[in-house]
Amino acid sequence: MAYSNKVLDHYNNPRNVGSLDKSDPNVGTGMVGAPECGDVMKLQLKVDPKSGIIEDAKFKTFGCGSAIASSSLATEWIKGKTVDEALQIKNTDIVNELSLPPVKIHCSVLAEDAIKAAISDYKKKAGMNRQPVSEAVS
Amino acid sequence: MEACWQCGHPQHESLFCQFCNSLQRPTPDYYRFLGLERKLSLDSKDLQNRFYNLSRLLHPDRYLRRTPKERQYSLEATAILNDAYRVLRDHVLRAEYVLKEEGFNIGEQRSENVPPELLEEVFELNLALEELRGGDSSARPQLCEAYARFVAMQDEADNRLSELFRRYDTTGDREALAEVRGVLNRRKYIRNLVSEVEKELAASAA
Repeated sequence: MAYSNKVLDHYNNPRNVGSLDKSDPNVGTGMVGAPECGDVMKLQLKVDPKSGIIEDAKFKTFGCGSAIASSSLATEWIKGKTVDEALQIKNTDIVNELSLPPVKIHCSVLAEDAIKAAISDYKKKAGMNRQPVSEAVS
Repeated sequence: MEACWQCGHPQHESLFCQFCNSLQRPTPDYYRFLGLERKLSLDSKDLQNRFYNLSRLLHPDRYLRRTPKERQYSLEATAILNDAYRVLRDHVLRAEYVLKEEGFNIGEQRSENVPPELLEEVFELNLALEELRGGDSSARPQLCEAYARFVAMQDEADNRLSELFRRYDTTGDREALAEVRGVLNRRKYIRNLVSEVEKELAASAA
């Protein structure tokens, strides 16, 4: 099956490959996978706590070209957005941008899930930080 | 209960009418087609015997001079038979088939069905493999080591599947089926790793 030029571009020159410090309270990590194809995708984002803007994003994906391109594009898109704006990104946006064929739509779903998982991890951390430890324990 | 299309006698889930022996519309259910109970553990020798036997009985050449209906049924039945044998002889495909028949969604699973520890583990294994892959021929012993480890993990998953198959077959417990699905997911990831290393070993040997 032929990949679109945009998929090939992201596949050959993936943006933002790498990782961020997982223990940083401003970093959210999302790890998602698709058992039917054996893909696994890790997406991390770093939020500026004052502005709520995503200042950095990294990913690492083991999977097909479409999965790599979807996550590469996702990190590109979320950088500079607020957390709430990033949550608005839909898998269909990724499908359209990369011209993914129907059999590869699940790759875009995975990328959307990864963004959501990373943000929910960040929010969980931020929420825990706001609460005094004594209250959180009781 | 259906009646024989030819002689009108009631039928009892059989491929052939017990009275006039004409071929009936084949059931698409792989187990019923082969006259088996829906068990996850199957005797492969018995399965093979049933396959050969039915292949002979249903072969379209035997129906060349029969009614058009029987000719059509023999074609349909042969197609189902081949699919049924291909699926049921393979323990993974068989388990996926039973899960689907029992209403489990196995195609489009999202991440919530995959335990995070498994994803972490698979991610780390992939990372390690990637490092070996970038290396020169000196990485070959480590690749072989990784291969042995992944194959052992796959065997472990298969053993776990056999246990769960037995549990489901004796108790009909749906919990066991849910666990089967979990192990199948895990096995899929491991299977991918195994074939990745195989590719790498083949490339470095060439």
